[in-house]
Amino acid sequence: MTTVVEVPQSFDDRSFEQFASACAAIRDPGRVLIDAHATEWASPFGLVSLLCAGQALGERLGTRPLLTVPSDKDVTTYWARTGFFLEAEALFEIHGAVPKLRQPPESTVLLEVTPVRVAGDVHKVVDRIQDRAAVILTSELGLEARATIGFGMALSEACQNIVEHAGTGGWVAVHAYTWRRRLGRRVVVIAVADAGVGFRHSLEPTQARRYGDRWGDGPALEAALIQGVSRFREPGRGQGFRGIRKFLDHWEGKITIRSGTARIAMIRPWDEDVPLREGLAAFPGAQLQLVIPAAERVAP
Amino acid sequence: MISEIDVRAVLARSVCEFHNDLVTRSTGRAVRSGIEAHLLEHPDITVVVLDFSAVRVLDCSCADEIIAQLLLRSQPGAGTGRGTYFVVRGLDEVHADQIDEVLRRHGLALVAEERGGTRRLLGWATDLMRTAWECVADHGSAVPEELASELSWPLDEARRALDDLAGHGLVMRADTHYLPLTAA
Repeated sequence: MTTVVEVPQSFDDRSFEQFASACAAIRDPGRVLIDAHATEWASPFGLVSLLCAGQALGERLGTRPLLTVPSDKDVTTYWARTGFFLEAEALFEIHGAVPKLRQPPESTVLLEVTPVRVAGDVHKVVDRIQDRAAVILTSELGLEARATIGFGMALSEACQNIVEHAGTGGWVAVHAYTWRRRLGRRVVVIAVADAGVGFRHSLEPTQARRYGDRWGDGPALEAALIQGVSRFREPGRGQGFRGIRKFLDHWEGKITIRSGTARIAMIRPWDEDVPLREGLAAFPGAQLQLVIPAAERVAP
Repeated sequence: MISEIDVRAVLARSVCEFHNDLVTRSTGRAVRSGIEAHLLEHPDITVVVLDFSAVRVLDCSCADEIIAQLLLRSQPGAGTGRGTYFVVRGLDEVHADQIDEVLRRHGLALVAEERGGTRRLLGWATDLMRTAWECVADHGSAVPEELASELSWPLDEARRALDDLAGHGLVMRADTHYLPLTAA
């Protein structure tokens, strides 16, 4: 028997919960079909999360899940131009027409879906994106030039979270587009995701006793993001999120991290999110999203 | 003896000649090892100026591995330490902020010369230490009596501030005088 998991029509960090619930409900040991035929748009967060689902389901079920590609040719072409299929073909049995030739990157894509496994991958990611990021951040978002350096730092620290803590590889993607309904401004979105052990498991040996009965995915996320706690005991550890937060504070940016059954967000006045949600559907690993909005004076 | 080290060049030698960015802990460890190897080959070096002018991105993890660990390990009696003094030069404002955060977390401090030439203390230091350091830097040297007179401080307080600066590697002590690192 094949269990079908529908990919939301518009797949981003908000609609992700619908997708995660469907993945968590899979009980049958048979095959799983990830059905994206009706999907019309996916954010970088959606794309890298889809890869996480593919990896986790493959490991759990012992066979690659099926993936039906979007039926809209433009959408499939867009996904190809984000580099999604280059990574997906190893994780899914793909059904549907995928553009065979490597497409030039979409103009909104600052960084194609890129695997992150070791520290050298982080170097490549920062190196590849830095020049393009400088142009986008200054000309399209109207930020000062020094935002570019902080952007590289934040991207690096977010990716290192995979290398240092996930226990497996992951992916990063960076796109620039306009959040018409949510913000009415241009944004740059960094999405970093893995299907690894997650924050709770990573921090458990050093933090669980401190929290006692309260320990869980939510407190683990609070410990990492708010308190700068690391699984390593050295005092210099855990500074990555502090650096990311400082960068985002300066540019009114937002970070969300989803791990296990919880999601934490540093919310902004322009946002309607909630700081912490617990009791969500279990989803493997950790999925981060950083949003850097255009300066307010810049028209969308 | 003062030695200036181009950190970007150490990165090129230690990790990859095409990298411009100081990112990741492993890169930081490699760069720090390169700097420590240079210091081992030159035991007469007492003040090291780390030049970041050619560095593009510096992340917190790498800053921690290079700068904080160099300071910790160079303290007399710790790691490879022999009491070397460190100054950083050519920092972008964002780099300076990163290093400042990293050092504060360890209770460390460092003298920095920013790209405009402005000198300042990064990291953790008391207000008394900062005031005393500015006075020493402005005058080129100081003894406790001069500092106490200049700032209208009790002599004990002036002496304690100067000793704290020397203890944190922010000034050098030569007999009764305390010298700024860049004038050493």
